[in-house]
Amino acid sequence: MSWLGSWFGHKPKLGADQQHRLAAWQALPPVELKAPVGESRYVVVDVETTGLNLMQDRLISIGAVAVVNGRIALGDSFYVVLQQRAASEKDNILLHGIGTSAQLEGEAPAEALLAFLEYLGKSPLVAFHVTFDETMIKRALRDYLGLNLKHPWLDLAYVMPGLHPPLARKLRALDDWIGHFNIRIDARHNALADALATAQLLQVAHSHAAEKDIASYAELQDLEKAQRWVSAVS
Amino acid sequence: MSAIHPSEFAFITKHAPFDRMELAHVMWMLERMSLGYYTEGEVIVSPERGAVDRFLVIKQGVVHGEQNVAKASDADTWLELMEGECFPLGALLANRPVASVYRAGTDIFCYELPAADFRELIGLSAAFRDFCTRRIANLLEHSKQIIQAQYSQSSVEQQSLASPLSAIVRRAPVTCAPETSIRRALEIMRDQRIGSMVAVDEDGRPLGIMTLHDVLDRIAIPQIDLDQPVLEVMSMQLNTLPPQALAHEAALMMAKHGFRHVLVVENGKLAGLVSEKDLFALQRVGLRQIGTAIRSADTPQVLQQGAADIRRMAHSMMAQGVAPEQLTQFISAFNDLLTARVVELECKASGLIGTPLCEGMCWMALGSEGRFEQTLNTDQDNAIIFTVPEGMDADQVRAKLLPVARRINETLALCGFPLCKGEIMASNPKWCLSLEEWKRTFSNWISGGSPESLLNASIFFDFRALYGAQHLADDLRGWLAHVASDNSRFLHMMAENALHNRPPLGVVRDFVLGKENKLDLKLNGITPFVDAARIFGLAAGVTQTNTIQRLRLCADKMNIHISEIDAWVDALLFIQVLRLRHHDEESAQGAGDDALDNLIDPEKLNELDRRILKEAFRQARKLQARLALEYHL
Repeated sequence: MSWLGSWFGHKPKLGADQQHRLAAWQALPPVELKAPVGESRYVVVDVETTGLNLMQDRLISIGAVAVVNGRIALGDSFYVVLQQRAASEKDNILLHGIGTSAQLEGEAPAEALLAFLEYLGKSPLVAFHVTFDETMIKRALRDYLGLNLKHPWLDLAYVMPGLHPPLARKLRALDDWIGHFNIRIDARHNALADALATAQLLQVAHSHAAEKDIASYAELQDLEKAQRWVSAVS
Repeated sequence: MSAIHPSEFAFITKHAPFDRMELAHVMWMLERMSLGYYTEGEVIVSPERGAVDRFLVIKQGVVHGEQNVAKASDADTWLELMEGECFPLGALLANRPVASVYRAGTDIFCYELPAADFRELIGLSAAFRDFCTRRIANLLEHSKQIIQAQYSQSSVEQQSLASPLSAIVRRAPVTCAPETSIRRALEIMRDQRIGSMVAVDEDGRPLGIMTLHDVLDRIAIPQIDLDQPVLEVMSMQLNTLPPQALAHEAALMMAKHGFRHVLVVENGKLAGLVSEKDLFALQRVGLRQIGTAIRSADTPQVLQQGAADIRRMAHSMMAQGVAPEQLTQFISAFNDLLTARVVELECKASGLIGTPLCEGMCWMALGSEGRFEQTLNTDQDNAIIFTVPEGMDADQVRAKLLPVARRINETLALCGFPLCKGEIMASNPKWCLSLEEWKRTFSNWISGGSPESLLNASIFFDFRALYGAQHLADDLRGWLAHVASDNSRFLHMMAENALHNRPPLGVVRDFVLGKENKLDLKLNGITPFVDAARIFGLAAGVTQTNTIQRLRLCADKMNIHISEIDAWVDALLFIQVLRLRHHDEESAQGAGDDALDNLIDPEKLNELDRRILKEAFRQARKLQARLALEYHL
């Protein structure tokens, strides 16, 4: 399994039950991205990894909270730690499929990722700096589930400057925006806490977007696209 | 893998009532909650939206409750809610629309629980149900427990010098045989960390005592051989008392003979040891002793001691969490006793006692003393009513009484009641008047209505007799009740005046503050209640001066529901608790009683007290709204 497997084009081996669950998720109907914020469920996600290298580092945990009809549903949140392999024994574990790390805390990756998909449903995703979260999650899904995730993502790192052009030069990191809007965060640097902070920022974005008659995920995506273009040329 | 972040849990359980709920119930609630965001000025709940559909807890920001203009008489007045506070409880419980508009005062985040889940939670959690239905009473109870917990360390054990020694002896005495070596005895004392050693015979009868104090004189300096029997260096002159003897007998024995230990002996056998240290904790004088001491005091020095005892006792009662109503009554009762004794002594000293002049004189307490609401830093407010004997005129009587009154005021000042800066004292010729003169003065105030008259009325109309010819005060009171209740113009002006002093709304950071960011508990907190109660009392012809009694007694005549009165009384008492506690803390930091102030920094209050205080101010505003309604202001 994992990256070495996919490197050579091997599909990871899933149990019958796991295949069934994956198929069930794939069969879910897509959601309407043009639905108003007040009638939608978005999932705001944040990940923790072993490092910042998109190619080499691995996914450690996923934290996610759902924004349902514009409100963060505390009970509708998700957190999972993926079972880690000791780096030195990577190859060994790849061959055997069962490592000593199986005793370590954390869910087996395939199980963890299936649980994430089932939690996610087909709700569109939101993150701050999507590239990082998307790459990590997509790679893990491909490695452990053989799934090529094609899912809508919205990047608040572009949406926020798009809504507030004058602030765009000053505020860059998630912390900058959170600080600017006085969102008090009681804990950070845990995937769930950061997802919650990002979700609160999304609520602020919703409220500001409404003033500009932007009322759906699809319209926010348009705003993001425009802002990406602006950032690229400026 | 569904997850509530620990920080959410930590936040919510920091606040009442969630801090007292079972964890499982808090989790149950959190799982059903959502987090909403509202921008500044956005309406969160309003009467127009029908029955309230959710219960809200503020996570961050400020929410304003605005009185519905169309229903200005509605009980819900202005309020401000902060982080951790819940709303709108009343409307949710009654399943009705809110009476006020709740609006985001800043950008806010709120936890929200659907109404159906709210009702289920009320069924699940007794602590939550209790909080929602009893609210203020509950917060107060909660606060009281915290206060008591804070003070429990300093109030050790409530014993008095009247307890028997058997109740004071803490453990079996450490003893040795008379032939034990000095060295061994000292080792035992060191190991057991005790200050004395008693040698006993085989039957447990004490033979001698050695204390650490003796080591220097009896062992070290004479360079005694440490292998000698310990009895050789022991003191054989033993002070013994039976277990039934009282602590003060032991204290007396120690004081008389200069010993630090008393042996408690039962049937000849050593039963225990009481040291001077054991009695330190008991050096509090009981109420009875203070009273007796004051009553029989015959010099200003003894009275000063009595005044100091009253204060010490008040601090100690405060520490025990005695309710403020009882505490202020206690302080007033003892100050009365003290003042009466001062008046009596000075009358005696000036040869006034036994003369018709003295028999026709009544010493009156005014202001807070008149209302039985004294705290530790009350300055003097007093006056004299007298009758004019045959063959004299009022000025002649006054000329005789004023020097005595001056001495009384000065002695009271020595006892810790500062002279009144406004000269509202019996030694002021303006306030040493015959009954007829008082009636004339009061009449002028009532018909005049100048700011000065209104101010005087607010001080003098709380008069009561403290010493002497009580019937004069009763006469004046009866007359005033009749005259004032008939004069609606005067009461209207009093009400208007009282409404100039608005309790803080709770704005910007919680409270509207004067300079120095301090809140004046007396002016902003107590005075609105006192003023309104006075007006209600005068209007209803109530002859009591105490604010709480005035409120309770006028309920029927004013057609105010008793639950509303209770809420006002609770609020007033809470502010009084904070005030007394503030005084207590200042004293503990070494402030003299004359340096005590009523200014607190709301930032330093704990979150619970801040909330209750805000609720108390809300009650003060409700009371004022009632006053305004009554007098069409």
